[in-house]
Amino acid sequence: MDILITIAQLIVFIVVSPFISGLISKIKNNIRMRKGQSIFQPYYNFFKLFAKGEVVSQTASWIFKVTPFVVIASSLAAASLVPALITSGPSFFLGDFLALIFILALGRFFMALAALDTGSAFGGMGSSREMFISSLVEPAVCLVIFAVSLQFGTTNIASFSHIHMVSISSLAAVAALFFVVIAETSRIPVDNQETHLELTMVHEAMVLEYSGRSLALIELASYIKQMMWFFLIAQIIFPIALPIFGNGGQFFYWFLWYLARILIIAIAMAVVEASVAKMRLFRVADFLGFAVVLAMVATVCAILGV
Amino acid sequence: MDCAGIINEIKAKFPGFSVISAVQNYPDEICLYVRPEIFKDTCLVLHKILLSPVKMLFALDERKMANKFTVHCVFLSAKSGQWVTVAIDVPAENPCFDSLAKSIYSASLFEREIYEMFGIKPEGNPDLRRLRLHDEVWPQGSFPLRKDFAGAPKNISAENLPAYKFSKVEGNGIFEVPVGPVHAGIIGPGHFRFSVAGEPIINLEIRLGFTHRGVEKLFEGKFLTQALRLAESVDGESAFAHSLAFTQAAEKIAGISISLQAAYARAIFLELERMYNHANDIGGIAVDVGFSFPAAIASIIKESILQLNEKLTGSRYLKGINTVGGVLRSPEEHEIRMVSGFLKEIKKDFNQLAKILTTSVSFMDRVDTTGVLKKKTAEDIGVAGLAGRACGIALDLRKNFAGVYHEAKFKMAVEQSGDVLARLRVRIAEFEESMRLVEFFLSKITPGETAFPQPQRKEGEALGFAESWRGPVLYWLKTDCNGAIERCKIVDASFCNWQGLSYAVLGNIIPDFPLCNKSFDLSYPGNDL
Repeated sequence: MDILITIAQLIVFIVVSPFISGLISKIKNNIRMRKGQSIFQPYYNFFKLFAKGEVVSQTASWIFKVTPFVVIASSLAAASLVPALITSGPSFFLGDFLALIFILALGRFFMALAALDTGSAFGGMGSSREMFISSLVEPAVCLVIFAVSLQFGTTNIASFSHIHMVSISSLAAVAALFFVVIAETSRIPVDNQETHLELTMVHEAMVLEYSGRSLALIELASYIKQMMWFFLIAQIIFPIALPIFGNGGQFFYWFLWYLARILIIAIAMAVVEASVAKMRLFRVADFLGFAVVLAMVATVCAILGV
Repeated sequence: MDCAGIINEIKAKFPGFSVISAVQNYPDEICLYVRPEIFKDTCLVLHKILLSPVKMLFALDERKMANKFTVHCVFLSAKSGQWVTVAIDVPAENPCFDSLAKSIYSASLFEREIYEMFGIKPEGNPDLRRLRLHDEVWPQGSFPLRKDFAGAPKNISAENLPAYKFSKVEGNGIFEVPVGPVHAGIIGPGHFRFSVAGEPIINLEIRLGFTHRGVEKLFEGKFLTQALRLAESVDGESAFAHSLAFTQAAEKIAGISISLQAAYARAIFLELERMYNHANDIGGIAVDVGFSFPAAIASIIKESILQLNEKLTGSRYLKGINTVGGVLRSPEEHEIRMVSGFLKEIKKDFNQLAKILTTSVSFMDRVDTTGVLKKKTAEDIGVAGLAGRACGIALDLRKNFAGVYHEAKFKMAVEQSGDVLARLRVRIAEFEESMRLVEFFLSKITPGETAFPQPQRKEGEALGFAESWRGPVLYWLKTDCNGAIERCKIVDASFCNWQGLSYAVLGNIIPDFPLCNKSFDLSYPGNDL
């Protein structure tokens, strides 16, 4: 049963996550007084890319070819670690919350290597910037996880599903996590997904050399990762218990609220993106430094029990 | 100032100076023919007296008639509103002249151009790499602007041709980042070679010329009215400024003075062109820092001005409205009312746009102190127009030369800091001033009047100019006895300003380059010709 629910959780992530990106893009365009692309555009893109051929640089090694699979695998593994539908499952033996950080780091590591692999100038710039940013993201994530774990005395992932009230600690943790997610999902003010200016790119610069199916997988991986982060934020700020399967009516309302809270975060993300300018690259250190401080506050509050 | 005045002034600083002949064909043009031996010294003295960089430096092939080349060097006398030219003869055999580049830096690009197009060697110029005829596809020893040029060489094998040498920065941890000529956005082609130490830019070399179409050659042999359509197509974003500069030169040669009505109408179109481009650039600067909401407002403003252009002239980019002798169509009464109403709407949107940008902390943080171009550097390079005014060079042809702008009490926008913010502020101030000017000229214009004299086919030479939104556009025209164009030299503000960009980005980080670039927004076709 646990295996089935874990698989179900992954399928939900795969199916729903592109929609969140489409929605954010739609809201942003509406704020800019534009009609914008369809909410379902990420799905169309996925199938379009999947049907296309690939161009691979002659200088690329096996790293370039395996990276899309490593990246999608790390995203899926990370998604199977969060208690979205499950409170226990086979994936939980992989490790506790700290494993989440390392699993994501694995994908990032390969992504950075692959970007260097083709020898393009932009890939190298993207890799170096991504590593610079992630060196600030990871401590913040660690501290947020500690803050949550401290409340329940365990780093077991299931502790996230035990949250049922919002404390000062969780408010600070959510704020920190929100900053982190902006960087992790390469959004303004840290990065800009929509830009065509190669020189300013971070994440996009790393995937510039990818096309076709590989690109489709990498994009899907980032949708999944984004939804996973949104879920974690939602669980801290709008905690609800896991569903009681069986009671149809109750399950329906639970399900609506369950999705609605992720949409709320998506809307917040879109509003932030449309209302500020992108930062100078080296200002990102201040921005994420602030996230680390917030996460520390969350940890201290958790120790104090507030 | 007249010929005698300028000669005396030069003599005061340079006792050995003498002229072969001095002519003042038009009130605003003085031309001094001197011996080649004193060319360099004369230019140097003029450069110091007039405080002007070299505005134009070009050659003519007159071997058929007089068995010689001629080289002209044009300076601007901003105080008196005149162009001062020094001209020399260059022998047809083994042609060369004394290079100015080591004393007047702004001459160096022009000298490279003369060398590649005419094969006239600027003796003493250390850098004679070609600007537009790329070595990879164009063999040495073929000079397109010579009259006996037989057409572009065919079937060139790229193997024996030397590669272009970029200036190299060497050292530990220095990397080269090549960008372009194909870019991700819909922009012109240019190759940017960055030398970086981590993110900061140590050196930038810009290689252009990919859109070289041989425009100056195309002008040759055409009559003035035919050539006008060509002038409009040199640079699509400043079609009207180019046509205006061309027609001014053409009108001088043809001996036409245009009616005041036509002058008002032209000023209106020139300002409308400035407005749509400034709106576009302000939006572009916002886009490049990922600030999408104000960018959307800017694009609405730009589009509505383009639609207004279409209603007034039939062309969104103001093509086909200007002609030698006047304008083909000037606004009707109801159109004048429409424009006034339209300007009120635009004003509201524009004020909102300017307010959002200048009050946003995240935006100001990006543009303030980014991409600083120092005034001294700008003066040495000869940076002109908007980019020059943003670093304290208070020159604007609308101000420096008499005309309808004086009547309108034109106010020049100048900033001192030379950063992206300064260029943005100049744009905002100029946009507002342009709205006022359009309103002023509309109030002066008599609706519907379009009469203009027909140009006669005459021999002559003249310089035409217009202050486009980027800066001065200069046309030097010479026609033969049939009235066909013998030589047309075009200088767009972009030609010198591209170099300004490569200095402005030094010390900035690579991700800020697109922002610096957009704040200059220079033309590829206007430079490549």
